[in-house]
Amino acid sequence: MQDDGDAIAARKPAFDPVQLIGAIAERRDRSAFAALFGFYAPRIKTMLMRAGESAEAAEDIAQETLLTIWRKAVQYDPARASASAWVYAIARNLRVDRLRRNQRAQALALYEAVELDATDGPDGPLDAAEIERHVQAALQQLPEEQAAVVRLSFFDGRAHGDIAESLQLPLGTVKSRIRLAMGRLRSLLGDAL
Amino acid sequence: MTITHHPSDETLAAFASGTLDAGRAVVVATHVCLCPRCRHAMQALEHIGGALLEAAAPTAMSPGALDRAVAQVAGVTPSEDLAPRVATPAASASTEEPSDELPSPLRHYALGRWRRVGGGLLTRPVDVPHDGDVRVFLLKGGPGTRLLQHRHSGTEWTCVIHGAYRDERRRYGPGDFDEVDESIEHYQVVEDGGPCVAVVAMQGDIKLQGFIGRLLRPFIRI
Repeated sequence: MQDDGDAIAARKPAFDPVQLIGAIAERRDRSAFAALFGFYAPRIKTMLMRAGESAEAAEDIAQETLLTIWRKAVQYDPARASASAWVYAIARNLRVDRLRRNQRAQALALYEAVELDATDGPDGPLDAAEIERHVQAALQQLPEEQAAVVRLSFFDGRAHGDIAESLQLPLGTVKSRIRLAMGRLRSLLGDAL
Repeated sequence: MTITHHPSDETLAAFASGTLDAGRAVVVATHVCLCPRCRHAMQALEHIGGALLEAAAPTAMSPGALDRAVAQVAGVTPSEDLAPRVATPAASASTEEPSDELPSPLRHYALGRWRRVGGGLLTRPVDVPHDGDVRVFLLKGGPGTRLLQHRHSGTEWTCVIHGAYRDERRRYGPGDFDEVDESIEHYQVVEDGGPCVAVVAMQGDIKLQGFIGRLLRPFIRI
């Protein structure tokens, strides 16, 4: 079984989003774009529908996220963020903007302002690959009640107050679960969090 | 800049997941902008989102979605110069001093005029579109200015930009973040040396406590 699995893995070209984003930055590679689209767009759509967007709106934001990936490919720094974390941040900004679409100030600009100043500061103690590995490990180790709150917040885009309401928990309990989950992450990441 | 007071873990998590209201997000962004430690935390937190996104079940896009996207990018050259939207502020609506010296998250918003609110304090509204009852403003006080013992009907989040103030327990200097909720009654005194400027997101109103506070209440309007 093991051998078969490995053989299949070897035949199937590995999906390497970092390399694909690089191909867009270097040579406007449309097949790289198509591969990124194929993986991320349907997942972003799922995420935004969980956040309460209609299928159409979720698809619009997924489209817009992928277009932003194309436009910003040159700025992507694989040492700072895994490809998925970078894509997540872009989709998050577009989602928040959409929530506030009738208002002048934009979240996109707000998060970008933070990023912009960040480029002047020192690099973090860990690189993105290490952070990614520890985050994966931490997520797998979390007790279900903490993992559920983390998912509702980061994936379903629900405010802590909403989560408390829908799980019928006191707000303090939701916050303490988030805090405990971050404590777990912190113990793995050390100084990086 | 030595920053000693940071947003709570749950506040940073709410900011990283994009679920904080606009007003409070501005104050957190100001802190994160000034604080390398919290920027690193944000970086790690965005990897939580990334891991969840990667593990998500896909929902099929509508037919032709990929073709439309490819057609759209065909004419667009990936470029370096997208980010600095920072320099095109709504703040051109500002009539008074330029906002250049403010941390970049604050440069996106129109600023009102400085206005005396009594007790040696000035406030300047930051025109953040609210979703909810949170107001954002800059607060300035000269050395020794004392904000009387007070309590809030909601939360009050503050990030110091220049100068410093103290409350009963702690000192807050540039970049420090102060998260106060309705259970806390406190007073604040601006430290000697120079004026203190902070950005504040306040929910509800403040209630001045004590005899003097009640006398002053009609005059201090924050």
